[in-house]
Amino acid sequence: MEVGRSAAETVMSRASVLLQLWMTPKTIVLSLLVLGLVGVLSFATMRELGRATTPAPVAPQPARPTRPALTAAEEAFIKAMTPIHADVQRSLMRASLGQILYKTNDLSSTELKTRMTQALATYGRAETGLRALEPPGSLVRDHERYITAVRLLQESAVEGLKMFKDGKDDHLLAAYPKSQEASDLIREVGGKFWPSEFPPN
Amino acid sequence: MIQKLLRITTILALIALVGGLGRADVLRADDDNKRPPQTLQSGFESTDRLLRDVERAEKAPLYSAWIVESSRFMNVPFGGFQPDKAGLNTTVNLPVNVGIIEGPDHKLTLYDSGWKQLAYIFDWNTSCCWKGIRDQLTAIGHDPSKVTQIVLGHAHWDHAGQLSDFPDAVVYIQKEELKQIDFFLNYPVDFNAGHIRAVNTVDPLTGAQVGPPEQACARTPVCGYPPQTVQEILGKVLSGKARIVDGRHEIAPGLVIHPAFRGHTYGSQLLQVNTARGQLVFGSDTYSSWTGIRDWLVANIQQTDTIQQFLAYEKCYVLTSRLNSFNNCVAAHEPTSYTSAYPLTANWWNIPNGNCSRAAELILAPGKTTHVPGNPDRVLCVNTTPPPHVIRP
Repeated sequence: MEVGRSAAETVMSRASVLLQLWMTPKTIVLSLLVLGLVGVLSFATMRELGRATTPAPVAPQPARPTRPALTAAEEAFIKAMTPIHADVQRSLMRASLGQILYKTNDLSSTELKTRMTQALATYGRAETGLRALEPPGSLVRDHERYITAVRLLQESAVEGLKMFKDGKDDHLLAAYPKSQEASDLIREVGGKFWPSEFPPN
Repeated sequence: MIQKLLRITTILALIALVGGLGRADVLRADDDNKRPPQTLQSGFESTDRLLRDVERAEKAPLYSAWIVESSRFMNVPFGGFQPDKAGLNTTVNLPVNVGIIEGPDHKLTLYDSGWKQLAYIFDWNTSCCWKGIRDQLTAIGHDPSKVTQIVLGHAHWDHAGQLSDFPDAVVYIQKEELKQIDFFLNYPVDFNAGHIRAVNTVDPLTGAQVGPPEQACARTPVCGYPPQTVQEILGKVLSGKARIVDGRHEIAPGLVIHPAFRGHTYGSQLLQVNTARGQLVFGSDTYSSWTGIRDWLVANIQQTDTIQQFLAYEKCYVLTSRLNSFNNCVAAHEPTSYTSAYPLTANWWNIPNGNCSRAAELILAPGKTTHVPGNPDRVLCVNTTPPPHVIRP
């Protein structure tokens, strides 16, 4: 007990000495200055954080449109079209990139010819396959648009392949508008039939 | 005397220590021989070279810059955008920003060209606010016919979509971007059943849907490049309006393309622009998130090598090191865009008749008049109704 009290007194006495040493006018002024700076910094930080998180006023949102559910017949038809669509898109991509890389001298004319010939064959098979399908009444127009797209792609490929006969690259340029129109049509129909086809990137 | 000797010894020791550290064999990207592993030569730029580009650009004319919101992804799971934020279990709205850069000759350069496929607004049912870039330009006081160049940060559909609306503009794209699509398009299917080369969510072999419904083919190398988008690029190539570049390329003094290969896609590229607030660096999806750059968090991982994304972040830090640092990095999908939380974009307004899309004035060249309306509409709005459109206007 006695020892404990003595230790406490010693600690108090040391603290008092330290306090006396610290309590010089210079250290007091310095401490006040530091405290002031910390205060200003804290205020500025809080203000900035408040500003950053202040949301902009929001106008009322209109109701979102909802996609109508497919009937069983529609679903079956789209399912039957799916592999045809996959083939057409892959062939179109290979032919398009083939032309780009041919123009940049990264693909030979022979390789391009192979790709375009293969694409033409795919488009022909796709048209046959599409015509064999019977769309439900609600999808007749989209079915026709897709067939139109595939026909445009065939015409475009035929035009482009002429370059391998006369050696004029201009045929590729002449063939382009039809393949562009076809790709727009396919995307429009694709957006309706395969809504999750191309996710956000 | 002893104290004096001790002091001198200490100072000499400190000098030796600092000198030694300076010579230490630390990995610095300032030497071609020390380029990071698995980094292509054409995709590598040393720190010294980047700093030289800053010095050169600072002697070039000053440009003005804006961004417009081509469209907006709504309610995207935060974790899907930034993996480190997955724990927050919240959603974010992501703008799709397109850069507009005006030179001293008043000609315009676009950085990215937004999206074309209006169907997505309906399909994904979470998107909003699409407006054609030509209309947006007119509505904010620019002449669309002045667009002479389009730099594609990468060629995903939501960034390379309206090229044919600018028939006279020259497109800049990296060869690496095109080569990677072609490579993976033809990837063997023996051991992956065609998943790695999936163009879309449809399995090319079986016709079945690939992946979970909402994830689909998002992370495969070819996914993100619909045939329609590739056709848009082909049109530019065939009409002689494309410049296929390989690595760094100076378009004009003060306007420099920097490669950021695999920063988002294989052929991603940045655009350095000399302005009155220092170098701006547009990054498309390599810089998907500005807070990601600030806090060193990866974002929007598609065909991304996360190390390369960080190295691309560092390129921005180097290029902006003289003024404003990361505040000058321009992000494509930063959720806080068009707010004071992303200070560069704080001077924003709703584009008149813009279907709720927004614009922001980033910086003006000296003497240039502002395009911000006198009384800007800054009430955030959302419109998920697809605008009327025809396939071939």
